[in-house]
Amino acid sequence: MRYALLVQGAPYSHQASHSALRFAQAVVARGHTLDSVFFYHDGVYNAARLAAPPQDEPHLPDAWCDLHAQHATALLVCIASALRRGLLDEREAVRHGKVGHSLEPPFELTGLGQLIDLGQRCDRLVTFSP
Amino acid sequence: MILHILNRAPGTSLVYREALAGMGPEDRLLLIEDGVNGALPSQVRHFEPVSNRLFALREDLASRGLVGRCDETVQVVDIDGFVELTEEADKTVSWF
Amino acid sequence: MEPQAASRDDLLVILRHSPHGTSWLRDGLDAALVAAAFGQTVSLLFQGDGVLALLRGQGSGALGQKGTAATLEMLSLYDIDALFVDAEALARLGFAANELMLPTDSVDAARTAALLASHRQVLVF
Repeated sequence: MRYALLVQGAPYSHQASHSALRFAQAVVARGHTLDSVFFYHDGVYNAARLAAPPQDEPHLPDAWCDLHAQHATALLVCIASALRRGLLDEREAVRHGKVGHSLEPPFELTGLGQLIDLGQRCDRLVTFSP
Repeated sequence: MILHILNRAPGTSLVYREALAGMGPEDRLLLIEDGVNGALPSQVRHFEPVSNRLFALREDLASRGLVGRCDETVQVVDIDGFVELTEEADKTVSWF
Repeated sequence: MEPQAASRDDLLVILRHSPHGTSWLRDGLDAALVAAAFGQTVSLLFQGDGVLALLRGQGSGALGQKGTAATLEMLSLYDIDALFVDAEALARLGFAANELMLPTDSVDAARTAALLASHRQVLVF
């Protein structure tokens, strides 16, 4: 089956990101395709390039990147949620006259339409909220 | 059949009532995160209408020291079982 | 086997949060509007404190914090007119359906379950 996840919780504040990652790993381990993870609301903080958690805690943004590297799962970040919260890729940083950027590939800024598209295209859309 | 996923404890949030209202006769309810507190014998009465269709995620019970303290009517599943429940359902609805 | 299977609507957005305190209501409405703009059939179910989104007389908050009433007024432009309200929540909060800013359909638990079953996708906010 083709799966997609919707993640709406900020990492380290709520368990939602942990739960979603754990579920993501189990989905691919059972032979399914994990098409995409869509980050919405405070879930966009999962894409923070500058996140520096203590070494004895899981590095959630890196773990999402590993998922992308190993399973080609798209990491889609709602642009409207992200810009409000200071998560800008290089292009948006330039556009808004900001020094430095806080989000980089494989995370991609994208519109909410992508979430709707996932709901249509995938067999299962599972949501993890705070 | 819908798999409903609930991550709030009945002691802190009334959202479980809305989850129950949304459940059809075949639907299942999976407790995850703080939702697993609802699997305790003292709490499980809140889920009485769906008692034969109530599941709880083992690793969330384990991290909270609640494995073995669940009510016997609750079906404990591991993360693989979670995925399996989503396979068997037509869709999932996450309540928070 | 479900009786509704023949006429399934695309998306049910459940709105459980009141305006201003969090962005859940706005984010849920945004998802509904985008889905409608993509040509999907969208229904809204206002549940719990989410029913307060429909009260008349809302405004912007301090420091110009935007509310959601203006978005609700635009729903018909997006052909979103299947609006359902949790009757019990409305009564619990002390309001009647005729006090709401838009025409809505009151639902009890049985109809709520039927609504969830009859939509292909359900998102809770």
